Amino acid sequence: MLTNEAVLALAPDAASAKAARGLLAPAQWPLRGADDRAVWGECQGSGSKPYQTQVDLAGPAFRCTCPSRKFPCKHGLALLLMRAQDGTAFAAGPPPAWVTEWLSSRAERAQKQEARAAAGPQAPADPDAAAQREAQRWQRIEAAGEDLSRWLADLLSQGLGALNPAAVATWQTMAARLVDAQAPGLAQRLREAAACVGEAHERTLARLAMLQLACDGLARRHALPAAEQADLRTLLGWPYERADVLARGTPVSDHWCVLAVAQDEREPRLTERRVWLHGQRSGQRALLLDHAFAGKGFEQSWVPGITLDAALVFYPSAAPLRAVCDSATVRDIASLPDGCDEWQRVAERVAANPFVPLHPVIWRDAVLVHDDGWQAVAGGRALDLAIDPADAWALQARGGGRPLHLAGEWDGQRFTPLTAWAASAQPPLWQRGAS
Amino acid sequence: MTAWSALMPAALVGIDRHAGAWPPRGPWPEDVVALATQAAGPTPHATGLLRAAAVLAVVQQAAAFGRPFVATLPPHAGDETLPAAAPEPLQAWLLREGPVRTQQELLAVVARNGQRLPAAWLPAALELGRRHAALRAPVAAVLGARGAWLAAQRDDWRWAVGTDAPDLEQRWPDGTLEQRADALRRLRELAPAAARERLAAALPELPANERADLLAALAVGLSGDDEALLEQALADRSRDVRQAAAALLLHLPASAFVGRAIARLQPLLSQERALLSRPWVIEPPADVGPLDPPRPKHEPLGDRAWWLYQAARQVPLAWWARHTALQPAELLAWAAAGDWAEALHRAWRDVLFMAPEPAWCSAFVRHWPAGAGRDDSARVLALLPLAEREAHWQHAVASEGLSDALLAQLDAGCPPPQHLSLSLSQALHAALLQRLAARPLSQDWLLRDALLPLAGLLHPAVLPALHALPRGDDHSPSAGELLHSVQRIAAARATLYPRTPS
Repeated sequence: MLTNEAVLALAPDAASAKAARGLLAPAQWPLRGADDRAVWGECQGSGSKPYQTQVDLAGPAFRCTCPSRKFPCKHGLALLLMRAQDGTAFAAGPPPAWVTEWLSSRAERAQKQEARAAAGPQAPADPDAAAQREAQRWQRIEAAGEDLSRWLADLLSQGLGALNPAAVATWQTMAARLVDAQAPGLAQRLREAAACVGEAHERTLARLAMLQLACDGLARRHALPAAEQADLRTLLGWPYERADVLARGTPVSDHWCVLAVAQDEREPRLTERRVWLHGQRSGQRALLLDHAFAGKGFEQSWVPGITLDAALVFYPSAAPLRAVCDSATVRDIASLPDGCDEWQRVAERVAANPFVPLHPVIWRDAVLVHDDGWQAVAGGRALDLAIDPADAWALQARGGGRPLHLAGEWDGQRFTPLTAWAASAQPPLWQRGAS
Repeated sequence: MTAWSALMPAALVGIDRHAGAWPPRGPWPEDVVALATQAAGPTPHATGLLRAAAVLAVVQQAAAFGRPFVATLPPHAGDETLPAAAPEPLQAWLLREGPVRTQQELLAVVARNGQRLPAAWLPAALELGRRHAALRAPVAAVLGARGAWLAAQRDDWRWAVGTDAPDLEQRWPDGTLEQRADALRRLRELAPAAARERLAAALPELPANERADLLAALAVGLSGDDEALLEQALADRSRDVRQAAAALLLHLPASAFVGRAIARLQPLLSQERALLSRPWVIEPPADVGPLDPPRPKHEPLGDRAWWLYQAARQVPLAWWARHTALQPAELLAWAAAGDWAEALHRAWRDVLFMAPEPAWCSAFVRHWPAGAGRDDSARVLALLPLAEREAHWQHAVASEGLSDALLAQLDAGCPPPQHLSLSLSQALHAALLQRLAARPLSQDWLLRDALLPLAGLLHPAVLPALHALPRGDDHSPSAGELLHSVQRIAAARATLYPRTPS
């Protein structure tokens, strides 16, 4: 059963969470029902016909007849909130037809998907042409790598001290050339380097140096082991197809504990979601990275603190982290994994693939301290936090200044807390954005 | 000196101008030096510099685990003495977005139950108090140890800190104005003379607004012993302070201040000789001399009326009834028929607010004088004990139904966190149904504005009935939206009274 916080964490944005809290009056729900598989209800909207809202608890997955573009919409969230509050207020009888139809269509779709996966990936229409296209893309990218390397050398010959905003603006031209050469990942890193010019020259130099490292890797691509070649390809912004990953990789079955879920607006109308998992038996960490366009939802919701039985297939990498999950079933409320080798994990991952942008980290027994900015202090060491003030105050209120276990993302400079536990055996007491 | 210092000179001025020692070598561990040397190559060049920097960047990333923290950790929150209220989601909504009246009701209910707010709500509650000064005391009362600890960490929440400190000695010198006034009122309850002396000692050093506010705290336990200090305050530089002193002296009928005021007025009030009755007449002096306070520029009253207004507002209302043997309602009618109606009505109204008298309140509400400002009727009602106020409304709803005037009075006349009695609420609900039946909500603009406040006022036992308000043929989204909001308030308030029989 989901807690209030867990339900609110599923909200696509703060406004939806807010709106859902305002829909909890029982009188607005002439019909409410639930069984082991699903929760459903009819919510009296401003029109004359009520909205039909339903949640498949296996996901949880949501569906509602309201016109909202948000996913899940406020009605679905409100339904789960009410259930978290008082399960007895829901009628126990058999679900109405509009619920059973949807549930069986979902089951059917899942079956079809399984069958497709079992049949293996479809062979490309013309394997030779595909291979040729691929070779052409590599050629273009390798040329762009040489171009970038020369550009970097020119830059360092003149010195970073002379850089001014006008000079940095010309970096955009180089970034555009990289996009044209189908290496958007490199362009992205160049733009990030441009963004930190003037902050600290050391950081600019470090970012440019990492680009040089990418160029060097590209130049001796064929000499690299397959896993590192795969990391190089990811770095270029040339991702593997999900179907390919599923077809080629070996599934890793485990009890996967959801450490944290981060949802960020990447561009207008594009939402990126990162789900961080920890395998209870394998000790492995995993990232499920998804995107949703135009407020459309994600197929499956993930709730921090819950363990799922799932088989993950990892993307090829020297430091496997990103994975795809085909189907998962909720197991129980997890206890936070123990162990204190967090920074060893980070070091090993960096050694295997220095281009990993975000590392999952559990920062145990941390006390929040704020003066100029927020920090989390544990064992005599402080991490600078990247945290919204409202989230920070909510976390401070829940924690009361006592040590908390924080799970979040480490980008090499700052730590973004996403989930907090007061003790490892309890459900999380705070999640980012659910305050 | 950082790990990067060995690379920065060449990187900043350009490798062509400044190669420095090559290969670059910083204060690095030996194997890092070896890697960087290998990456940089034998001769100075830009790409070699970048490669050495890449070694350093990767090593640094791999080695990171925060900075040393040597300061003492801040203290954590103290142990709670009160149990936490259950975190009811509708109440969480209320605290963030509900109407202020119902927020105040929520805070009062939590305090009455001897509970504190759940930890998760504390930031929202402190933000609420930051925005609404009226909610600060009720918020501070239910913060618990955790909330007080949290509030102390932010300048704009610090108002909430210290109100729990029992020690008056601490709060008198250091507290905010609100806290000092509160401390003074509490001390007045225990030791009126000590409180007066403390105030008298502090007055000369305070700014005018603080002098006025703290002086007003003497209302608690006011007695003839306070007269000397109040007389002194009548000569204060600030009009507000003089006003506050006069308001308090009105409560002391034996004071010299009241005596002087009566002596000024009494000779002007006389009885005419007539055939059957001996009507009272009042006539201000023909030459009133220099006016104090001066007559404002756009004041509708003339010089003599202004003089009378000022003289009459220093006389307790009880004197008029005693002196003339007329009832308050009769006096209002008498004044209305005379030449000085506006001056007298305004003076009486002012005195009523400074020193309320229930009989006069009722008279004012029933026979509201034309010149005394219509908007104040609800405020006058609020001066009455709730039972008398309700009797008035009960009478009004029985005779006129749910009138616009009644709707306008209810909200201001029932100060939060109180709500209306069950019998009045039932009568109002019945009248509401009648009004809805007579006119659809879409055409009844006044009711649309008043419906939501009404949902915040009714007795908890009537709340379930609000879920079934008839919508009639009105399918407009705005009407649906309004009924939703009404239901939401009703549902949120119902959670505050879980054991109320419905």
